[in-house]
Amino acid sequence: MQTATETQLKRKLMSSAQPDDPDHAAALLALVATEQSRQAFSELFSYFAPRLKAYATRQFGNEQTAMDLVQETMTNVWNKAHLFKPDRGSASTWIFTIARNIRFDFLRKNKHRQHDLSADELWPVLAEQNDSLDDDYALDDDLLMQQLATYCELLPKAQRTVIELIYVEGKSQQEVADALGIPLGTVKSRTRLALQKLRELIHSDD
Amino acid sequence: MIKFHPNEEHLFHYVTGDLSPALLMMVGTHVDMCPRCQEQVRDIEAMVATKLFGQTQVPQDFSAANDSFDNDAMLQQIMAQTPTHKASDSAHNALVDELVLEGKRFKLPATLARSHHRIGEWHKLIGHMWRAPVQIGGDDVLTFIYMDKGTKVPEHTHKGREATLVVNGVFNDETAEYRDGDFVFLDGSVKHTPETRDEDCLTLAALDAPMHFTSGLSRLLNPFSSLFFK
Ligand SMILES: [Zn+2]
Repeated sequence: MQTATETQLKRKLMSSAQPDDPDHAAALLALVATEQSRQAFSELFSYFAPRLKAYATRQFGNEQTAMDLVQETMTNVWNKAHLFKPDRGSASTWIFTIARNIRFDFLRKNKHRQHDLSADELWPVLAEQNDSLDDDYALDDDLLMQQLATYCELLPKAQRTVIELIYVEGKSQQEVADALGIPLGTVKSRTRLALQKLRELIHSDD
Repeated sequence: MIKFHPNEEHLFHYVTGDLSPALLMMVGTHVDMCPRCQEQVRDIEAMVATKLFGQTQVPQDFSAANDSFDNDAMLQQIMAQTPTHKASDSAHNALVDELVLEGKRFKLPATLARSHHRIGEWHKLIGHMWRAPVQIGGDDVLTFIYMDKGTKVPEHTHKGREATLVVNGVFNDETAEYRDGDFVFLDGSVKHTPETRDEDCLTLAALDAPMHFTSGLSRLLNPFSSLFFK
C-alpha cells in the first residue's frame, strides 16, 4: 500500500541523485521515518558517515572516539528520523546539530564532573516532547482566546484596555504605557492583576 | 525591543558548543527571547553544516575505501535496531517554567526551564538584592540576581568578564538602560554601577572571577564579593 506522499517522495528520489541535494536528503529521511527504508538510510549513511568521521577526527584526534561519534550520530538518524522537521532547516543541518550534541556530551563525559550540563538541555534537538508541548500550548491558547473574550468583559475597564492592547493588538507593555500616557509599572501591575483575575475566572469554571 | 545582543562570535560558538557552560546558558536564554538571534543561529547552523557536509569529494583518508572505516558493519549494526517512537522517560517530567521569589512569579525562557532543577536556593545579599546559583559545572559561575526596585549595586569592576542578561524587568548603569532579553558583556576594565529605579529586575549573570568593589565604603564589601561569586 502506498500513500500519495510516499509516491511523491519516491518520485523525488528518482529525480535527483545525491544527498547533498537538500530536497533529496529530506526525502530520504522521510522514507526512513515512515517505512524504515534501509535503502534510503544506506544512501544517507554512505554520504554522511565519512564526512562525520572527518569532522570527528579533527575534533578528537582519536580514531576510536571519532568512530563512536559517527555511530551514535547515525544511530540517532536511524531511530529519530521522525523528529526531523524540514521546515526548520535542512537534513544536513539537523545531522550536524545531532553530532554537535554528541560531541558536547563526549567532551564532558571524560571529565567526570558533577552537575555537568547536558547537550539536550542546551539544544533539545531530539526531544520527543517538543511537538506535544507546542500542541498543548496551542490548544491552551485557543481555549484561552475563546474564554478570554467572555471573561475580559468582567474585568475593570482599565485592566481590560491594557489586556486588549497587549494580547489583541500585540503591543509591548512599553508601547501601551506610551499610548495611554501612564507609567510602565502601572501597565505591568494592571496586566498582572488582570491575568490573575482571568486565571481565577478560568479555573473557577473547571 | 531587545537592543543588546551577544556578538557574532558568541553566537557562532554557541552553535558549535565551544563556550563555557555558563555562557552557553546565557546565550541560549537570550536566543530563546530574541527572534533576531534565532534567525542568526539558524543561519550559522546551516553554514557550519554546509562546511562539514557540503564537500562533494570526501578526503581519501575518510572514504569508504579506507579499511579502517568498516562502514558496512556499522551500517548493518545500526539498521538491526527497530526504531521506537516512544518518548524517553525524561520527557515525562513536567517542564517547570516558573521561578518564584518573594511571592513574585517569573516565567522562564525554555533554556532555563529545561535546567530548572539546577537552580539553587535564594539567598539575600545586601539591601534588596537576592541571588540563586544555577549549578551547571564548569569553572565560571552562573547565578540569578534579583534586584527589587530602587536598588543600587555598589560600583565595581570585574577581574574577569561578566555577562548579564535581563530575564524580566529593567536596570540601568552609567551608559544605558537594559530591558527584557538584553545581553551585556563586560570585560575586566569596565567600572559600572547597576541600579533599578521604578521597577524590579531579574537578571542572569555569568562571572568568571569575583567582583571587585571600587568606590568609598563599598570597598568594605570586597571581602563579601565571594557571595556574588560562589
Ligand atoms: Zn539577540
